[in-house]
Amino acid sequence: MFDLKASYDMFLGILGLLPKTLLLAVTILILSTLLGIVIAIIQQYKIPVLIQLIGLFKLFLRGTPMVVFLYLMYYALPAMGQLIISLLGINYNMNNMSPVIILIVTVSLTLSAFQSEIIRGAFLAVDYGQIEAAHSLGYSFYQTFTRIIVPQAFVHAVPDFANSFTVAIKATSLGFLITVIDIFAKAKIMAAQNFRFVEAFLMVALIYWGAGILITKIADRYENDVRIK
Amino acid sequence: MHISFDKNEVLKGIDLSVKKGEVVSFIGPSGTGKTTLLKCINYLQKPNEGEIQLGDLNLDYKNIKKQDILRLRRKTAMVFQMFNIFKHKTVIQNVMDAQIAVQKKSKDEAYENSYRQLEKVGLIDKIDEYPSSLSGGQLQRVGIARGLALEPELILFDEPTSALDPELVEEVLRVIEEVAKSGMTTLLVTHEMDFARSISDKVVFMENGHIVEVGSPEQIFVGSENVRTRQFLKKFYSNQELQKMH
Repeated sequence: MFDLKASYDMFLGILGLLPKTLLLAVTILILSTLLGIVIAIIQQYKIPVLIQLIGLFKLFLRGTPMVVFLYLMYYALPAMGQLIISLLGINYNMNNMSPVIILIVTVSLTLSAFQSEIIRGAFLAVDYGQIEAAHSLGYSFYQTFTRIIVPQAFVHAVPDFANSFTVAIKATSLGFLITVIDIFAKAKIMAAQNFRFVEAFLMVALIYWGAGILITKIADRYENDVRIK
Repeated sequence: MHISFDKNEVLKGIDLSVKKGEVVSFIGPSGTGKTTLLKCINYLQKPNEGEIQLGDLNLDYKNIKKQDILRLRRKTAMVFQMFNIFKHKTVIQNVMDAQIAVQKKSKDEAYENSYRQLEKVGLIDKIDEYPSSLSGGQLQRVGIARGLALEPELILFDEPTSALDPELVEEVLRVIEEVAKSGMTTLLVTHEMDFARSISDKVVFMENGHIVEVGSPEQIFVGSENVRTRQFLKKFYSNQELQKMH
């Protein structure tokens, strides 16, 4: 029933798409972090209008399955993009927009809400006494931020960022629905070719587990090295 | 130096002059505004109104500019009750960083100066350690070295020994004593009465946001005519007796 040889071949086949999957996840992590910083700043300084928009956005995310969001973006994003660039007077056909971009945008938006909370928490974890000390020594606002607050906040955020990264890797599996081929999609295709579903999904699960363990280990080691000793 | 504050929620009309090189201690019950007063001086807390004259700097707190706040802070240094050492930097980096960031000294110059300061407070063997491996007394000595390294015109000690274990108080007091004797203008908020009495040129007794009495240590501790001062000191010393008996 369980074919070892077929499993091995599938394992190698699926593994071939791991770099692409990781690249997708890294892109998503970077974009969602940048967006998360913007959201955190808006919330911290309570910027009117924008803060209400973010509240609405978070409400939408909480209530919407990511699959629904992804499909919505798949059909709506090219049309919206077309509208925007035609308003800017650029002649370009947005309907050719790659589904990879749609996947990246969707997952990044979803993850950005979580990233903003991680970032806020990390900044709040820096003890205020040190900020006072920096001020008393004559550091400017910017110097206090870059020399005292950010280095410590970053260390606080590392474990949560590693977690977000694994979330991003797993979320790319939804890309299959809009024709993006990642490791999960590859497993599904290979399974359909020779009807070895158990082998295919077991192998892809193994690869997800392996990647997850590796990321956690790397983050742990990094945290140990830079931890505020 | 001359400071005066008015119409503040915590401080109600403070008026005080301190000469260059003078050592002034602030005593009084907790919650009286001693720490607030110190933090108003370098604008860590914002007084509603008030003026300060420090050397050639003359500032009105009501319409103070960002640049003025930085200038004021660069002339003063503060040592905190909770030490507030930067946890992600080693001992010597803690002392060096402001010299590089604020005073724009070269790394070598900052290192040399920091090394000398740490030598003075007796922490040469700890310069590459991180704060988490230091005792409270050692952390506070790093705090003092960090402040002195900037060569301030005025140093503010905010209850520097209140958070320390009793056996560590002495080592920090010795360092503060050396600073005070070096001719540095020093303001000290403390509950260490005997220490305040022995090192101060002037003692300020505060209560409820007011200055009740200012005088020489002898005048305050021995010959005070003020009822509140005498009550406070009597209570303080009888508490201390009680503690000794236990």
